[in-house]
Amino acid sequence: MKEHRITHKKDKCIGCNSCVLIAPQNWQMNNKEGKAELIGAKKERHLRTAKIFECDLEANLTAEKTCPMQAIKID
Amino acid sequence: MEKAEILAPVGSFESLKAAIDAGCDSIYFGVKQLNMRARRAHNFSLDELKEVASICKKHQIKSYITLNTLLYDHDLPLMRRIVDEAVSAGIDAIICQDVSAIQYANEKGLHVHASTQLSISNIESVKFYSQFADTIVLAREVDLKMMEEVCRAIKEERISGPSGNLIRIEVFVHGALCIAQAGRCQMSLLQSNTSAQRGACLHECRKKYRIIDDETDKELILENQYVMSPKDLCTLPFLDKIIKSGVAVLKIEGRGRSPQYVNTVVKVYKEARDAVLNNNFDQDKVKKWIEELKTVYNRGFCDGYYLGKPLPEWSKVSGNVSTDERLYAGLVNHYFPKAGIAEIQIQANEMRKGDRFVVMGKTTGVKFATADSIMIDEKFVETSGKPSMITVPVSEKVRKNDKVYILKKREQHEGA
Repeated sequence: MKEHRITHKKDKCIGCNSCVLIAPQNWQMNNKEGKAELIGAKKERHLRTAKIFECDLEANLTAEKTCPMQAIKID
Repeated sequence: MEKAEILAPVGSFESLKAAIDAGCDSIYFGVKQLNMRARRAHNFSLDELKEVASICKKHQIKSYITLNTLLYDHDLPLMRRIVDEAVSAGIDAIICQDVSAIQYANEKGLHVHASTQLSISNIESVKFYSQFADTIVLAREVDLKMMEEVCRAIKEERISGPSGNLIRIEVFVHGALCIAQAGRCQMSLLQSNTSAQRGACLHECRKKYRIIDDETDKELILENQYVMSPKDLCTLPFLDKIIKSGVAVLKIEGRGRSPQYVNTVVKVYKEARDAVLNNNFDQDKVKKWIEELKTVYNRGFCDGYYLGKPLPEWSKVSGNVSTDERLYAGLVNHYFPKAGIAEIQIQANEMRKGDRFVVMGKTTGVKFATADSIMIDEKFVETSGKPSMITVPVSEKVRKNDKVYILKKREQHEGA
């Protein structure tokens, strides 16, 4: 199945919870930090990156679009 | 008459220095993430709290943290950390709206300012919040008479806060006004999922709108398309009345504004406050002060709701109508203190002899100067050209990597 690369600038996150609601298969809330966390992400400097499946693309595109801090990017 | 405190907005170390130099009595600032100005380029980190508190202590001013966003369950650990760090850093108070933050700050013995987000507009609300807060920020929508009534009742009924002292009333005296009841706006959230309550407001109210009839596609001709953008609040013309009403804290809005803005506005309001105390506040001075205020960011000025007008006046342009505009010139490379000369690397906009300019930096704060002479390679020149390395006289100390901006008169917009 085709995969897509998703990037999260975690330092920008203000914990609005929007991505967690829209794409819970890929996002969870880190209650300690009050920030969203990309599930299974690798840390690359200040970025978190992960691969998502085609079937999860639509939800994550919505998460990307609705992130108030533009912290999510899908390639 | 009690000396009302001038409370300055601070969004960076540069603004902090600018506010102190201008003579504020206290400052308020937010920290990363739980901040009503989350979009700002700079927000203080938890690690910086101690530095902010120690700078404020050194200059004998008070420091308040603003933590007045909506809080969800997942925010509570961070909220507690911020309160704990504030206590350990020696921050004087926290400005908050959420009961969880109010309660936790109370448990930790940190003074609370009940935020304007609570829309406190009557004496019974004041009494209620006095159980938890020593200072109460009134809603921006109250009028002067209500303000007086509240202050009078606090004294008469001896309403005191957790510290045992009489409640102090804080009011906004200058800065942006919301079109919605402050703290109740959902426009940004509904339009683009960016909640103002989490500090991510996209200022939908500041945009230009058209009104088109769906059936016929005909458009209403509007006199002013900025149908929701109020002018900024400026209480200078009646600051004497505000102070005499008995308020204790005069708060200036603008954590998102430049250090130059903070410096100018604080300086003007301090002068005006002192004039009221010395019984020489008059409208001639007000005119002069307003001209000064107009040099920095503003959307035009109005009285807000304080004089009982039904609506604020509408701004007629998008954003700023300040009489001065700032053009980035370059960075300070070196300062020669004995000679009072700054060496500046001109990068973006060239400087001409006679130009006014402003230097801003973390330690420098805000310093104004005029390029009375410009030298390149020890020769006088009329204009710097760019890129170039120039020397100009600057009487006050500036520092390497401070930013230099040329101040130019702005071409005024129609209706500004």
